[in-house]
Amino acid sequence: MDQEFMSKVETKVDAPATQSTLDATAIPAPRGAAAMQLKDVSVSFHGRTAVRDCTFDITKNRVTSLIGPSGSGKTTLLRALNRLHDLTPGAKVGGTIMLEGTDIYRGDITVTELRTRVGMVFQRPNPFPTMSIYENAISGLRFNGIKKKSILDEAAETSLKSAALWDSVQNRLKVAASNLSGGEQQRLCIARALAMDPEVLLMDEPTSALDPIATLKIEELMTELKKRVTVIIVTHNMQQAARISDDCAFLLMGDDRAGELIEFDTTEKIFNNPIDSRTLDYTLGRFG
Amino acid sequence: MSDIIDIEPKDAGHAMRDEIRQISDRHRARRQLRSRLMVILCGTALAITAIPLGLLLYQLFRRGLPVILHASFFTQLPQTPTLIAPNATGGVSNAIIGSLVLTLYAAIMAIPVGVLVGIYLAESDSKLAAVLRVISQTMAGAPSILMGLFAFAFVLQDLHVGFSAIAGSFALAVLMLPVIVISSEIAVRGVPNTLREAGLALGAKPHKVSMRIVLPAAVTGIVTGIILAISRAIGETAPVLLVIGGGYINSWKPLDPVSALPLSIYENAKSEWPSLRTEVWGIALVLVVFVFVLSLSARIWASRKQQAR
Repeated sequence: MDQEFMSKVETKVDAPATQSTLDATAIPAPRGAAAMQLKDVSVSFHGRTAVRDCTFDITKNRVTSLIGPSGSGKTTLLRALNRLHDLTPGAKVGGTIMLEGTDIYRGDITVTELRTRVGMVFQRPNPFPTMSIYENAISGLRFNGIKKKSILDEAAETSLKSAALWDSVQNRLKVAASNLSGGEQQRLCIARALAMDPEVLLMDEPTSALDPIATLKIEELMTELKKRVTVIIVTHNMQQAARISDDCAFLLMGDDRAGELIEFDTTEKIFNNPIDSRTLDYTLGRFG
Repeated sequence: MSDIIDIEPKDAGHAMRDEIRQISDRHRARRQLRSRLMVILCGTALAITAIPLGLLLYQLFRRGLPVILHASFFTQLPQTPTLIAPNATGGVSNAIIGSLVLTLYAAIMAIPVGVLVGIYLAESDSKLAAVLRVISQTMAGAPSILMGLFAFAFVLQDLHVGFSAIAGSFALAVLMLPVIVISSEIAVRGVPNTLREAGLALGAKPHKVSMRIVLPAAVTGIVTGIILAISRAIGETAPVLLVIGGGYINSWKPLDPVSALPLSIYENAKSEWPSLRTEVWGIALVLVVFVFVLSLSARIWASRKQQAR
């Protein structure tokens, strides 16, 4: 897969790629129903814009990757999608973000409900250290008042199976989660998010703290997961974006140090035939 | 060809390398000397600290052990010696029970409030939090007799409660409170933010995140602070001096006047009877052993808890 991708790229190196006069973000691509829609989304902290002008649709049951160099606002944008900026003093989110037609900041949806529908996996594995594997897996349900043991047991098994963790932990569910390896901990965090049965799963560089084998396992998992959940992933790793994502948004830091969306399209197009020359430069590793 | 390319730059490099090595050798010798000097200094400082402590413990055990080996020491109430029986001092059962009662009630009052305020200070950026923080830091440095005066004025005079265990517990609780608040705040602040975010991202409300994720993760630090506060409170004389009444009875009731180990030390040490003055060593030994066991068990518990993670 990797080699296939690299060879594709190499054939493209010679192709002319200086058509930045076109507005890359305005090109609509035909695809399925949107799980989330972003329109002119911007995030600022204490009046300083961190990311702006993000308009694109996230299609259901696809993996959408956000790529771009450090400081381009990928993570900031991702965290706006489940209102994780709410508790940051001075943070302001502009534009509109729709989840299945509901404006998540102004619409008829509480932040708690939003977060149960839009799950999140973080950069570093962060299982709750005082809880067992089982308790971690069902922690979201517990926080939301579900106490019935039959539901919790079933959710634990289903979510751990979905995260490809059940086989290795089913005999030690009561063990502290910190006994797991880094890769297993991250899959536990995925299971924890999946237990809520979310519609969208946000992943913030979920493999950047993991070794290659653990990374591969999580990548395989994502391909499986998109059958039931829409995945949005931030990644620094361009090969990873190329391998696993169907759609791709490329962000770049502007002159005023605010990130902005340069181009959004299918991953194939972004990597093989982007409209903006900066996209090609980045995916070829000419900067970043 | 190779002559020119090889020899010239190599020579220059070597000259530089030799000089660097010479200088660093001289420097290393100086550093080793300085290092030895520092080790000696540290050792001396350690000895200055350890010797008085060792002497104190030695005296405490030498003089205190014979006192507490009398069965009556733990079981009987105090007696005043007479000319016929100058060594009949009875025991200090009332002070032992009194100290336990005072500390127990004080802990019941101070722990919930202290821990909750500590969590609040760590999790909130409000002005109130800033004010509370300054107040607790000031209280932590306040002389302990002040707590006694406050308990006297508030519990005894304003609330019209007599000399009692509860009044002493109140004074001790006020003394413990800032210690618990400050250590709880530090422990809660030490919990990584990623855990809070993980909880919020699962749809947990902020108070649930505090109580179900942050508090359990900070519990070792909080308990260490509580033990520290209890150890400090149990050895204090000044706050209880004015308000507990020094009762000569064994009582667990909050409204009864009680005695306390530090108070017995204070009173016995003033006595004209040598037997009572000797008894002081036994009381002090009990107090020290009590605090030692308390902090040792807390340490063992904390390290086990840490290992389990």
